[in-house]
Amino acid sequence: MVRVTDQSVYKRRKFIAGALGLAALGSFSTLRYRGRMSASAAQAPSDELAIEDPAPSAADHSPTNLAERRITTKYAATHYNNAYEFGWNKSDPAQRSGDFQMRPWTVTIDGLCHRPGTFDVDDLMGTPFNQLEERIYDFRCVEAWSMVIPYNGRPLRDILAAVEPMGSARYVAFTSVLRPEEMPGQASLFSSLEWPYVEALTLQEAMHPLAFATFGVYGDHQLPQNGMPFRITLPWKYGFKSAKFITRITFTEEQPPATWNLTNPREYGWYSNVYPDIDHPRWSQATERRIWGEGDITRMPSRPFNGYADAVAHLYLGDKKQYR
Amino acid sequence: MIRLFVHGACATPALLLLAGWFNNRLGVDPEKTLIWESGIWTFNLLLVVLLLPIVANWTQWPTLHRYRRAVGLWAFSYATCHFLFFITFLLGWDLNRLGEELQERPYIVFGFSAWLILVAMAATSNRAAIRWLRKKWRVLHLWVYAAAGLAAIHYLLMVRSHYGWAGTYTGIVILLITARFIRVRKKKATRDC
Repeated sequence: MVRVTDQSVYKRRKFIAGALGLAALGSFSTLRYRGRMSASAAQAPSDELAIEDPAPSAADHSPTNLAERRITTKYAATHYNNAYEFGWNKSDPAQRSGDFQMRPWTVTIDGLCHRPGTFDVDDLMGTPFNQLEERIYDFRCVEAWSMVIPYNGRPLRDILAAVEPMGSARYVAFTSVLRPEEMPGQASLFSSLEWPYVEALTLQEAMHPLAFATFGVYGDHQLPQNGMPFRITLPWKYGFKSAKFITRITFTEEQPPATWNLTNPREYGWYSNVYPDIDHPRWSQATERRIWGEGDITRMPSRPFNGYADAVAHLYLGDKKQYR
Repeated sequence: MIRLFVHGACATPALLLLAGWFNNRLGVDPEKTLIWESGIWTFNLLLVVLLLPIVANWTQWPTLHRYRRAVGLWAFSYATCHFLFFITFLLGWDLNRLGEELQERPYIVFGFSAWLILVAMAATSNRAAIRWLRKKWRVLHLWVYAAAGLAAIHYLLMVRSHYGWAGTYTGIVILLITARFIRVRKKKATRDC
């Protein structure tokens, strides 16, 4: 077989191949680095240090004095987030949450309680935002990184007790908001998560004094990337248990489903307490990389219950494997 | 001239990462950025290696065949950095843990095997090795297709929930491997008649 092709055809093909190559490189770079380029143009990490100083009024009634503990910079904690509602990339929540409407925001509390109802988030706070308690918690992600973050809120149990759970209530389910038109990650075709995000705790866990109803971080409540206007924070569990953008709280008798546990039960347990000696099947949980911001990262051993064992270990009797 | 362009293009991501690292421009978790970006550029260059013969044939531009080695060596360099970053940042040079991780985590096994293939290819990329290995050299260097396949699995296994990128890379690898089979068959067919 002999094929005769004119030399000019090959010339044209070279040109086409070159153009395709450039187009491939261009679209790859745009898709992958678009966020990074706009972020580095806008970011001036040194400016962030000034904002980090919390309002003195917040520090006054805080159980932990800020000066005693090093905390992660606000810039790091608000630009490196897992909120798959906005996208799978750590920078997506900060960059792709511009359309998200934080007010009005109501939370429906129902199920096995005597005083169910729908409450405005400002009423759930109980006090003006700047009067809320500030707590500094170690936050441990299941991906083996951690941060130290000041949270503004009140004990979750204060909110739950007000609606008077019935004696038959054994679990508390949390449902996050479903707004694909405002949350690009919920609209994405490639996501394997079901929306809305759901999470749940035993009633005992939810009533534990460390379980914190959270309305802001670093004294700032305008932070959808951190799960505002209303989230919970459970410092002894992996971060994904701390549901964000909560719109519904339901008391139940049966164990409610939890999104990551549903998606991949082998990798994410229902309880998901931090146990350094129980690995995630794909990576070790023995150590964590503590992110301080400004590129400063410390490798450190992880601790049972993320360091809160004294306060919570009594909730989990028997083999810890059932509480992974 | 082309040679200069090839090396310049292959070095650009590394230079940008280096500059980003020292200017603190690699995001909140620069360690993770280094690990992921070195990995993704290993993969990009591997795809270029697989694409070059196809483009060379289609455009009748035989010079392109020669740059497979240069691009392949760059892919090997990025892969080696990727591996070193992993050991440094995620394992803190605890080599006992490397052994454990290799036994317990499939994605590391796939990535590590892909890297071993690249090591073998890089080590035999000189003229002396070509002369010494003769026919075996061709077979050894066909393993680049296996390396790309292993890299695709390595990437897929890392995904937590969003399969867009890893799925696209896997699709491209499958296409390129299929194209290679078709090309070989066609060659055989023309030789037979």
